[in-house]
Amino acid sequence: MKKNTLIVALVLVCALLVTGCAKSETTTTDASAKATKASAPYKIGFIGPMTGDNANYGILISQAAKLAVEEQNAKGGINGAPVELIIEDSEGSPEKGAASFDKLYSSDKICALVGPVFTGVSFTVGDLCQENGVTMITPSGTHKDITAAGDYVFRTVVSDGLQGEVAGAYFYNELGYKNIGCLYIMNDYSQGLYEGMKASFESYGGKVSAVETAQLGDKDFRTQLTRLKAAGVEAIYIPNYTVEMAQQLEQASQLGINIPFLSCDGFSNPEIYDLAGSYTDGVIYIGPAKVEESDSYKNFYDNYTKKFGQSPDSFANNAYDGANIIMKAIEKAGSSDRKAIRDAVATTKDYVGVTGVINFADNGDLVAYQGVYKVNGTTPEYLGAYTVVDGKLQKVN
Amino acid sequence: MSSLLLTVLIFTAIYSLMAIGQNLITGYGGMLSLCQAGFYAIGAYTTAILSTTYGMNFWMTLPFAVIITAAFGFLIGMPTLRLRGDYLAIATLGFGEIVRNILTNWVSLTNGPMGIRKIPKISIFGYQIGQSNKLVFLVLIWVFVLFAYLLMRHLARSRMGRALAAIREDEIAANSMGINPTKYKVCAFMLGASVAGVAGSFYVAYMGSVMPSTFTFMISVMVLCMVVLGGMGNFAATILGALIIELIDYLPRLLGITNLIPAQFKQVIFGLILVIMMILRPQGILGREKFNYFKKGKTMGGDNNAVRN
Amino acid sequence: MSSVSVFFQHLTNGLTLGGIYALIALGYTMVYGILKFINFAHGDILMVGAYVGMFAFNFLRGDATFGVWTIVAFFLAMIISAAFAAFLGMFIEKVAYKPLRKAARLAPLLSAIGVSFILSNGAAWLWGTQSRKLDYPFANNPINLWGITVTPHQFLILGVSIVMMISLKLFVDKTKLGKAMRATSLDQDTSQLMGINVNMVISLTFAIGSALAAVGGMLIALDYKCYPTLGTMTGLKAFVAAVVGGIGNISGAMLGGILLGILETFGVAMLGIPQGYKDTIAFVILIFVLLLKPEGILGKVEKEKV
Repeated sequence: MKKNTLIVALVLVCALLVTGCAKSETTTTDASAKATKASAPYKIGFIGPMTGDNANYGILISQAAKLAVEEQNAKGGINGAPVELIIEDSEGSPEKGAASFDKLYSSDKICALVGPVFTGVSFTVGDLCQENGVTMITPSGTHKDITAAGDYVFRTVVSDGLQGEVAGAYFYNELGYKNIGCLYIMNDYSQGLYEGMKASFESYGGKVSAVETAQLGDKDFRTQLTRLKAAGVEAIYIPNYTVEMAQQLEQASQLGINIPFLSCDGFSNPEIYDLAGSYTDGVIYIGPAKVEESDSYKNFYDNYTKKFGQSPDSFANNAYDGANIIMKAIEKAGSSDRKAIRDAVATTKDYVGVTGVINFADNGDLVAYQGVYKVNGTTPEYLGAYTVVDGKLQKVN
Repeated sequence: MSSLLLTVLIFTAIYSLMAIGQNLITGYGGMLSLCQAGFYAIGAYTTAILSTTYGMNFWMTLPFAVIITAAFGFLIGMPTLRLRGDYLAIATLGFGEIVRNILTNWVSLTNGPMGIRKIPKISIFGYQIGQSNKLVFLVLIWVFVLFAYLLMRHLARSRMGRALAAIREDEIAANSMGINPTKYKVCAFMLGASVAGVAGSFYVAYMGSVMPSTFTFMISVMVLCMVVLGGMGNFAATILGALIIELIDYLPRLLGITNLIPAQFKQVIFGLILVIMMILRPQGILGREKFNYFKKGKTMGGDNNAVRN
Repeated sequence: MSSVSVFFQHLTNGLTLGGIYALIALGYTMVYGILKFINFAHGDILMVGAYVGMFAFNFLRGDATFGVWTIVAFFLAMIISAAFAAFLGMFIEKVAYKPLRKAARLAPLLSAIGVSFILSNGAAWLWGTQSRKLDYPFANNPINLWGITVTPHQFLILGVSIVMMISLKLFVDKTKLGKAMRATSLDQDTSQLMGINVNMVISLTFAIGSALAAVGGMLIALDYKCYPTLGTMTGLKAFVAAVVGGIGNISGAMLGGILLGILETFGVAMLGIPQGYKDTIAFVILIFVLLLKPEGILGKVEKEKV
């Protein structure tokens, strides 16, 4: 017993020494010399999956935030003080996301946060941000309940709540379907969209008469598809991720199912065409509204592509705007007081970003629209932007 | 003390509880159970559901977590523990997956893939303990780890421990000597499971929320690694193993190089640890604890056949 | 769609799924039959085989679309993939399992779990976690037969697994090497005394098992695509299938595979078991079989000698 505990204690002490002396910061900005050395830098945090299964998202999105911060510093920072972006890896898990927040809050003392990227992590970190009073803007957490965490949580991406609403309204009113089926995956994203679409669709008088579920990672959907075919629905809604949808479309074709498919913004990931090819023809999906090709968007796109060698996706666009909104709020607040920053973010009015004009609703959601697309061959065609106001589907110019 | 280091030590404690349970089952009982993550999940969700839906205080949920997890240990143990090692491994692996499956699909009970949020913190006489005062939580949970450690050590030296050792070395001989292998194996399994359940309760009380997707096979493997690395059949060594594995898991973050090390790299390391330890030093770093039953004192040491069948 | 044709469509789907399980189960059962050892890494070797086959196929066929050359290229890719997997299997055996032959029961199992982890995460590290398409070498157009819709690929899966099963049985029963393998499975030490090179037999067992896994992997990846965890869950269920049919018994693997595929499909389709519990069906079946007839449907009872 004595020898054991001695060894355990020794190792603990060593670990303490090592980590105490080790670096504990990941600063990743190149602050320009124009910022005064004397002023303490404003610190903004970023949490996203920098490693792991979905690291490409984290990297793409964090780069946009980086670009925004660098451009600000090139202009002299905020009121003369430099801005520092500190990027932490959530590894896609709520546990590590909480650890990331912990480090940013306790060690780095950030005044605001861009991120997280995933819904699950956004819930955990959102609760932490609300509890500790740190403004959070997520560029990609779309579950409708994320902003319900409190008044410190915002997002620059359209909520799934709106997407489900528009989906149901569009399918009934524009496409004329009265009886559809659904095949969704048991995860927060798909289930949320299904429930939103169903509520909306049925409020107009439609019926979702056949519902099938599956697990994330399933590859074989033949049983569910056969049952949907037997149920005789007019169309099938598949609000899932690209990998599952590719399987579903291919297997539907193999089963001789000619029913049209309807989908969600997961379909806007170009990977679907690599995996499902011509099976995507004819699919109608609800996705992000198309942004007017403004000059600021073009500049951002060019600068981003030049600097990082890859083009930004829609979430990266959202992160760019989110970071800029935070920095504007800091400027308006005049200090790193977290509450003042939150108030400044909340009162953002008609901010012109690369994703269009940004306004926040009372609950922190983005006031926005959804785009509707139809796949022609393997190219998505934009059909227009829509929203639902007072239970009525409205097309937006 | 750095907040991050406190986090690492807290998770070390949580995993130590699971690893102690695994050590009892695998190191002492010789049963390859691959479902500690499943029991972890059951304990976690018991506390989560009872404290949110029924407003129970954390301390009240603990005995429920222990009992319910032990009950599942019994349910899955009774039919499968008579099986040989390989079959037991697969059966327990399947059980772990089934638990995750059920937690994801039984939406009315568990809120499905969305999980449960706003789980209340542990409170002692009104004083709340959680992520905002890590040091207190750390002390609290290590008290439990110490308690589990002492309990297990006592068990190991008792009749049960001796019976398990006999069963592990040669089940048929033990049976002919009058030891009922099923009874002891199921007992050990239930105990090992309930410790993991307690770990789960602490986990949700700390995190404040829980999702079924957390409880993967990877966690069971990590726990197994901790036992193998530290030393099968040596509880203190298991805690050491837990510390080392958690340090590896958090190392990039501690050194500030998270964005450079791919997550898969860590998992490859865990796989390598299993293979290398089995080949080079199957008794683990500290080796199996040896008890001398005839003298009052106790001798320490490991031997190369510590993992003898 | 009439309910009769729905029933037969579900049956066809179940047979396809069963064929996939059978393909994988054959390899599992062969290795277990000879060595009494579950190679946890079997599914992951299958996955590596699928990736290697995909790279080889894409390289060989260039820009060609469906035609004789693509089919030839696919076969060549299969051979390359099988050879690679055979060597990989033998390498793994030598490095991770052989040193543990005389060790405790637990040791090779733990080592196999480690290998499985290394392979699947290594693949994710090397090739990324996204799914990659393995193109069909022929036009896989659906055919309408008596009210049900099938594709050539489904016939291919079933056909290949039957061919594999028959060839394996012939090999093990009729050839000299097969005899050596059977002897080794009964008693390694005595076989060695009888002049059988046990090390060679074991290596060969792994080589064949892995090669079969690779071929199966490529066929499965045509449907499921290539991704790092291709072998894990499906492999696990295939193992269940092998146990249900009688582990160590080649026909048992086939029977178990088909049975599991059909039970899973009909459990969800007809019995109304919620789809989310599909995977649970496999493991519940496993528990039942282990409780009632642990040697499996076609297996023989093995008495444990004192």
